Amino acid sequence: MTTIRPFTCEDMLYFNNVNLDPLTETYGLSFYTQYLAHWPEYFQVAESPSGEIMGYIMGKAEGHGENWHGHVTALTVSPDYRRLGLAATLMNILEEVSEKKKAYFVDLFVRVSNKVAINMYKNLGYIVYRTVLEYYSGDPDEDAYDMRKACSRDISKKSVIPLAHPVRPEDVD
Amino acid sequence: MAVRPQNMHDGGIVERRLRPIYDWLDNGNNKKALQEAEKVLKKSPSLQAARALKALALFRLGKGAEAQSVLEALAQEKPCDDTTLQAMTISYRESQQFHKVCALYEAAVKVEPTSEELYSHLFMSYVRVGDFRSQQRVAMALYKFAPKNPYYFWAVMSIVLQAKTTDDPTKKGILLTLAQRMVDNFISENKMEAEQEARLYVMILELQEKWTDILRFIEGPLYSQLVPGSTAQASIPYLKKLGDWRRLNLVCKELLFDNQDRWDYYLPYLDSVFKLMDNTDSDNDSSVDDTAEKCHEFICQLVESMSSGRTLRGPYLARLELWKRLSVHGDPTSLLGSGVALCIQYLRVFANKPCAVPDLKPYLAIIPQKEREEHCRDFLTCLGFDENSEPESPDDIQRHISCLCAWQLTSPVRTGEEYLMIASLLRYQYLRCVNKKLITATLTEFCAADGYGTLAAHFYFYAAVQQQSATPILEALSLLELVLHNSPSNFHAKLLLITLYHVLGNGPAADSVYRRLEAKHVQLLSLGWIHAARLAPGLAHTRALRLLADTHAFHKHHGKDCMEHLTYAYKYGTFEKLLELREWGARLEACAWCSLAGRERALLPLLAGPTAPMHAPHPLPDPLTDNRDLNAIVSWEQPQYIDPGMKERSFEHDVAYLRLKDGIVSCIALCIECADNRSLEEKKVQLDEMQTCIEAFSSAMEKCKEKYSGKQRLCLTTPFPSRIIAFVNSPVPYRELYVLMVSVVRAVCAGDGPASRDRGASLRPLLADSREHLAAAVHTDLWAQRETLEFFSNYLEFIGVITFLLGVCHEVTAQNNTKKSKRKTNQSPDQILTTQMLSVLNDDVQEIVAFLEEIFENWPNFDYNNSLEEQMTELDINNKYQCPVKQKLKEGIQEIVTEVKTMLKKKSKYLKSLQ
Repeated sequence: MTTIRPFTCEDMLYFNNVNLDPLTETYGLSFYTQYLAHWPEYFQVAESPSGEIMGYIMGKAEGHGENWHGHVTALTVSPDYRRLGLAATLMNILEEVSEKKKAYFVDLFVRVSNKVAINMYKNLGYIVYRTVLEYYSGDPDEDAYDMRKACSRDISKKSVIPLAHPVRPEDVD
Repeated sequence: MAVRPQNMHDGGIVERRLRPIYDWLDNGNNKKALQEAEKVLKKSPSLQAARALKALALFRLGKGAEAQSVLEALAQEKPCDDTTLQAMTISYRESQQFHKVCALYEAAVKVEPTSEELYSHLFMSYVRVGDFRSQQRVAMALYKFAPKNPYYFWAVMSIVLQAKTTDDPTKKGILLTLAQRMVDNFISENKMEAEQEARLYVMILELQEKWTDILRFIEGPLYSQLVPGSTAQASIPYLKKLGDWRRLNLVCKELLFDNQDRWDYYLPYLDSVFKLMDNTDSDNDSSVDDTAEKCHEFICQLVESMSSGRTLRGPYLARLELWKRLSVHGDPTSLLGSGVALCIQYLRVFANKPCAVPDLKPYLAIIPQKEREEHCRDFLTCLGFDENSEPESPDDIQRHISCLCAWQLTSPVRTGEEYLMIASLLRYQYLRCVNKKLITATLTEFCAADGYGTLAAHFYFYAAVQQQSATPILEALSLLELVLHNSPSNFHAKLLLITLYHVLGNGPAADSVYRRLEAKHVQLLSLGWIHAARLAPGLAHTRALRLLADTHAFHKHHGKDCMEHLTYAYKYGTFEKLLELREWGARLEACAWCSLAGRERALLPLLAGPTAPMHAPHPLPDPLTDNRDLNAIVSWEQPQYIDPGMKERSFEHDVAYLRLKDGIVSCIALCIECADNRSLEEKKVQLDEMQTCIEAFSSAMEKCKEKYSGKQRLCLTTPFPSRIIAFVNSPVPYRELYVLMVSVVRAVCAGDGPASRDRGASLRPLLADSREHLAAAVHTDLWAQRETLEFFSNYLEFIGVITFLLGVCHEVTAQNNTKKSKRKTNQSPDQILTTQMLSVLNDDVQEIVAFLEEIFENWPNFDYNNSLEEQMTELDINNKYQCPVKQKLKEGIQEIVTEVKTMLKKKSKYLKSLQ
């Protein structure tokens, strides 16, 4: 049971039950406000009937020409609201927005170790487009999968032909 | 902030010369940047960009005056190249001279009146100072020679902002009419082309409450072209405003058929049903749901239509909501059956989700208490479990825990014994899972069985409060540490541990867990109440100061960012976010917790070290804002305990406390200002101000004592009783102590010997009396330790202040000496008497400090034993786990006591040095 609505600044005060999860990063304020000011339609929150934040998605549209695409910057659901299909609902919204913006595809990065998330994205129709080496800094650094799903504008599905070789983070545009 | 302009690519000689200066500035090496700038200026002394960068380097090196003179000279020349202007803008911004940026670009556009870039910068400079009228003028001027949509809408938005901020309703009306007409013209010329422009138009109509016009626009072709596929959803709020319940009903039904889980569609749907029910003139349109029966029918249809995949909570919760709304007016049972049955039905379907019981909370609260309590066991047993069941699959474990939670929420209040019994049952359940390897948590995911442990902690806490005993808290702590050991990402366990360590007054132990939360940035505000705010009253001063400094740094930093994002919102045309960003910035600026953090940062160092300079904080914002997230810790208390006024009341308490603290800090700041050797006349304003300040503090203390005298209940999930309670109700008369001491300083600064001696004489017996209160405050019961430490924190804070103020007096009297002669004998008889009084007062304080040292020297030892390890041995659990609770508590209290003793030693040394 969900209310889907645009994320607002105030939500930053109440997203603790989502963000205290160790895989969800809490960024500096300006990171969120920058997304709000630039891509508000891509920043949506799922709220429970009692007004609790269950999860949110933030994303953006970027790229030129046939590389014009929607990007998932963060997708997170509180541990207490998992296995309810929320992530799929939120991804759906982001894909719809990308369709409206006439994007060619939607992409996202995910830790190669995050099996749960990778599986979920695969179920939603995403494929591993390429591996980005040592994308996540840490000890040790971790690779990322760059996963993609084509939008309807990419009729020939050119954007989702996987690359044979991994790339370095500096080669990702 | 990177200094280099993004579009700097002329590739010419100038760029090449400036590059090293930019590099040094961006790397933070301002000294090198300055040298490099001087070098360039030697070759081409008039190069404006190099001079601007030199000014910036000077600013960043703290040479404000020099920088200012370079900037002023440059400004006179009316520069209009981007590089120079950008560098100057940064200097002005960093020195908070935003208005000068406006003047700078105003001059530049006069030189180049058709430069789009310069005009855009000018517009943004007005955005930063919030001058909406000038924004409007500049945007229109810009649109005239560069007719692009964004510029036109910048102007429209600037008018809307003027309307939003005016108090004059006529002016507001005129401005909004103007804004609307501007957009209307645009639409009629077919020039509107972006979603955000359409949204801005809706915003303008909304401000004028033109609901019909909004609907007409939303349902028109232009809107669906610009904002495709959202017409139905967008119309909901306006159909509500217009009271068009029939259409609202149909629109929501349509939406719900495709989105059975959307609560934001169910609520307006139910609103419409109840409005239509009240309406007596029935109509024949059978597709409109205007009775409870039809509504129920519709919801059942949705339940049935759910495809074979996932079962959605939506329709089930909608049925509960229907039941709740019907029960306000009458008896919903004939249509829907009993509330208990409905809730149990929900639990049966969703108990394997952790959110099942939180979902039910608002509905359980509506069931009459008696009925709820009679059926509480039904909640426990509805899935075939009882308290002794031993489920093994993660789904069944979660179901069992959900049933246990629902049972607790519906049960009558239990005795301490009963709570203890259930707590140990739950602990057994958790240990059983450990034993049978049913703990499936990983580094990043927690698991269902954790719920036994965290729920047990709540029960232990209830028992502790009922029995006024720390023993159950020790059991809870040891169990939670084990849960966290097995399930390191479980933040529920972390939050409970932090709180329970604080319940025992052990800030350092709480800090050990808090660090694992990795709370940062905005969380310093929303979660400050859970830990940072509790450290100072727990006497964990060093740790408190560290977190207060983080909080302060965050608060100071955000303002600048916020301003920059306003300019982004214009740049990207996200007008609807503009107001939000402005309000957000203002809200954080006025944060009550940050304001308190500022005062604490000023007061605590007075105690930690006598010579610390005082950071006088900015004046208190008014009104202050509450930014605490009080839902962070899940509550399992019965509905009758949920106090809807708690948040507001505790905030009121905190603000009252903040104002008292602000009074003290302001008095001290004035004392410092007056302690120089200016003449009495020159000081008069501050001395008067100090008198006002003293009187205000005194009467505020009096009022607070009357108002905040009640004892507050200790609760696990909400803030502890506000510090104001202990402060104003203390047997130690803080009002008199602070007022008299500040009055002594005031009189000394004013050269009023008799008055200073009179106040000093009144202060002395009060100081002497406080010994008795201090001695009585020490308890050997661990349960009382938190309050005891808070009691001492108030007293030690006063010691910090009085010591500091004696130092201030000493400075004043020493100045009097040196003015006339180095020799003391040259003091006037009156001054000698004052010096003597101060010396006696100093003796008194030293005696109290010695007394306090003794108290902390003999701080009681507590027994921190618990029975967890014993039970683990009994159950034959051997996972090489060593419970850290005892050690953490011991070391924590040791740290506190040692720190206080060191501070007291420093105080006494300092006081002696004044004599």
